[in-house]
Amino acid sequence: MTAIQSEVGGRTELESFSYDDAIVRKFFWATLIWGIVAFLVGVILAFQLAFPQFNLIPEVAFGRLRPLHTNAAIFAFAGNAIFTAVYYSTQRLCKARMWSDTLSKLHFWGWQLIIVSAAITLPLGITQGKEYAELEWPIDLAIAVVWLGFFGTNFMMTLIKRRERHMYVALWFYIASLVAVTILHVFNNVWIPIGVVEFIKTGEITSASNLMKSYPVYAGVQDAFMQWWYGHNAVAFFLTTPFLGLMYYFLPKAANRPVFSYKLSIIHFWSLVFIYIWAGPHHLHYTALPQWASTLGMVFSLMLWMPSWGGMINGLLTLRGAWHKVAADPVLKFFVVGVTFYGMSTFEGPLLSVKTVNALSHYTDWTIAHVHSGTLGWNSFMTFGMLYWLAPRLFQAKSLYSMKLASMHFWMGTIGILLYVISIYTAGITQGLMWRAFDESGSLMYPSFIETVTKLMPFYWIRAIGGTLFLVSTCIGGYNLIMTWRNRPAKYEVPVHQAPALSKHYDDGPPPQSRLTANAGIGHAGDRFLQGHWHRRWERLPVRFTVWVVIAVSVASVFEIIPTFLIKSNVTTISTVQPYTPLEVAGRDIYIAEGCYNCHSQMIRPIYAETQRYGDYTKPGETVYDRPFQWGSRRIGPDLGREGVTNPNAAWHYGHFIDPPGTVGGSIMPSYEHLAQKDLNYAEIQARVMGLAMLGTPYGEAVKSAEELARAQAVEIAEQIRTGNTGVEIVEPLEDKQIIALIAYMQRLGTDLYAVPEAEGEEIAEGGDQ
Amino acid sequence: MPHDPKVLDHEYDGIQEFDNPTPGWWHFLFYLFIVFSFFYTVLAFAGSPYLPTPEDKHQTEKIAAQKKKFETLPDLLPDAMTIASYSKSEPWMDYAASVFAGNCVLCHGAEGGGAVGPNLTDEFGKSIKTIEDIHMVIQNGAAAGAMPAWGQRLHPKDVILLSSYVAKLRGTSPMVGIAPEGEQMEPWPDAPPPVEPEADSGDAGDG
Repeated sequence: MTAIQSEVGGRTELESFSYDDAIVRKFFWATLIWGIVAFLVGVILAFQLAFPQFNLIPEVAFGRLRPLHTNAAIFAFAGNAIFTAVYYSTQRLCKARMWSDTLSKLHFWGWQLIIVSAAITLPLGITQGKEYAELEWPIDLAIAVVWLGFFGTNFMMTLIKRRERHMYVALWFYIASLVAVTILHVFNNVWIPIGVVEFIKTGEITSASNLMKSYPVYAGVQDAFMQWWYGHNAVAFFLTTPFLGLMYYFLPKAANRPVFSYKLSIIHFWSLVFIYIWAGPHHLHYTALPQWASTLGMVFSLMLWMPSWGGMINGLLTLRGAWHKVAADPVLKFFVVGVTFYGMSTFEGPLLSVKTVNALSHYTDWTIAHVHSGTLGWNSFMTFGMLYWLAPRLFQAKSLYSMKLASMHFWMGTIGILLYVISIYTAGITQGLMWRAFDESGSLMYPSFIETVTKLMPFYWIRAIGGTLFLVSTCIGGYNLIMTWRNRPAKYEVPVHQAPALSKHYDDGPPPQSRLTANAGIGHAGDRFLQGHWHRRWERLPVRFTVWVVIAVSVASVFEIIPTFLIKSNVTTISTVQPYTPLEVAGRDIYIAEGCYNCHSQMIRPIYAETQRYGDYTKPGETVYDRPFQWGSRRIGPDLGREGVTNPNAAWHYGHFIDPPGTVGGSIMPSYEHLAQKDLNYAEIQARVMGLAMLGTPYGEAVKSAEELARAQAVEIAEQIRTGNTGVEIVEPLEDKQIIALIAYMQRLGTDLYAVPEAEGEEIAEGGDQ
Repeated sequence: MPHDPKVLDHEYDGIQEFDNPTPGWWHFLFYLFIVFSFFYTVLAFAGSPYLPTPEDKHQTEKIAAQKKKFETLPDLLPDAMTIASYSKSEPWMDYAASVFAGNCVLCHGAEGGGAVGPNLTDEFGKSIKTIEDIHMVIQNGAAAGAMPAWGQRLHPKDVILLSSYVAKLRGTSPMVGIAPEGEQMEPWPDAPPPVEPEADSGDAGDG
């Protein structure tokens, strides 16, 4: 402050400005509404797992609804919470109104439109089939425009036009979020839109679903790598860094205490931003991802532990001397529990990234419990704390409507989270141990997968109860906030603030002297570096600061991404692996549209218990034509990586898709009877195969007659079904139905490894010997 | 606050910052993990035997597990007498029951009464006439791929023991059973139970 006045030498010209709180109020309500929607969908999903009868219609069956839940929780609820925090705090930290009210409004309405389009397209099965990046290409483009074009421009220009000389740590975290999310979103969503390809080649577009459909340019191992580079860092830069920014502003505000340590802010900010990016491959331990990437993913996750905890320490120790307030103030209660959950999740994250731990936890509910302790405990509670703190200020009411209700929200929410995570941790570890249990004779103790599912049912009931409590507590919170809003004045006051504009020139003060007495040149340089004077200088240079963040984020990305694409030995070619037939392509697209990957993996890990159960482990070369990859992340149902080898029976699949529990007693899979009713649009297939061929899939001449080839294969499969014992009634004409394509895909899965090479048709392919 | 450290002259919208040093234990753990990661990465990249790749580890585990599993079982030939004989070995049929449960029940039912796949408990066979045919069908598949070739998936000894187990199912009465398909099968040959090796037979048998 003193610096500002001295720099202009007394000729201080004050500028008048006011803050745009109307936009903050908009984001405030959007946060609350989408939060309730996201939690409601989550509760429905929880009940669908406990009681499969809740899969009422195909549009809201588990596989299609789960992406809606994750997208709503992350991008709608947490997204709007981030924007509430950013729009409120940035203006005040910069002593400047948002640069453009128009951009603010475009940002708000654009983002809500994206959310609504997600809520429409995902239940319709319009999806890219990559977790947390499900939204199809037109929406991807809209996200890029709204995020970077509207929000990014508005935010950066506000920084540039600010009246506060130095940027506070909250702003550093906002910058990192803005930059990294842009990079992640753009590079993970490189696709070719099928409808556009079709239009260019033929002058027409067959169907709306072709128009909305895209295939990623990455395939198999590379696609998996890109997706989890994205997925992991979406957690980092959408659910962590912006919320740390939120914490750094609202927690000291609410506690009215100085932040514990500025030095810690600097070191944990830069180490977090640099290290986080590397850790993505820990989502792919024991998969077909090359070992070097997996190893880097693990060690960087371990190194990430302390940078993450830096945030927790700075949050909790800021409350030193204010603990008596925590007992009385619901805002601080939410913050304390939120930061504590952050600490627990960021300890658990590195733990889960240790390969041997991951061998047990991966594909189980342990992961689900981990993310929910993060999203419910950290993201939601930080958001609620912020909303409660903001409500009386934004609505210019004397106080919150009811402290009692806020306290009730807090306790009910906390109990809900604990019921949720404890039951699901137990479920995850139970199932993980059952999968790997052997009896004395050396056989799997639970050879049939369904046993390991039915065992979890009691935990699923408890989880549903915990989730319901959390939802109800949020509604109580919503009521409290609405009642607070009702106490608003007839017209909001808009206070006018005054501050001088920043002058061009600024004296950073003399560089620090080395505090060392020994005579060592480099030591002196090091000591001066450690005193952080240079960083203080960066803090007043937003563009330079941003460039360094871009570098920190990109270096790591480049070191991992480029080798993944360039080192050929990462993915050894298997000569018998051939492209999917046109009918299988159609079936695969149905598999993606129905969201099968939400419950089934297609990646058998080289772990003995797993190869015993499912067959030979999946080789990198087997997935080279998978656009997108469908390795999955959770086995609510069994792995399908070798389904075509162990269970190619078309009649079985037909009966099973229509009546899963009738075929496998105790199954919680929804019925896919609608696939046996609806006709497959054969005309669509041609463009899709063309699109894949454009991306390098070697179809040769087959690309010209995709539709005929598909029809011929469908007739064969229909005949297999008619002559088999399906146990259900067959809907004719069978060969026209969507289910045939999906069965064609099932029959193909994992078979190429054992296929007889064409050149040596006489020889019998070498078999596995599990 | 008497114990408060120095407050920096930073102030943003009323928020101040202490000039506290970063906690020592924080530094210690941060550097510890960096050092650990460095050595771990070097060892892993250099292919240290202490850090085998998952594929190598899987291979070792598999060999050890199979050795342990089958150490009391001599090499077997998939002939009629062997199949018939092992169908009378209580310990090996207990073992084969687990292989059956893991791989066959989806189509043939928990007790072999059939569902999509044929009933294995009756007197009729679709692709099976003699006891050796059981092995052939399991090994190579049947019905134009509706029955997969388990030779690709299972250990050769598993396929033989499983054949014995299926042979043993004939004549049992499952809770659920579908109508017979195919033709009358020949009677299975009579064979004495296998002679269990004297040493360690208990170990293998109890399982």
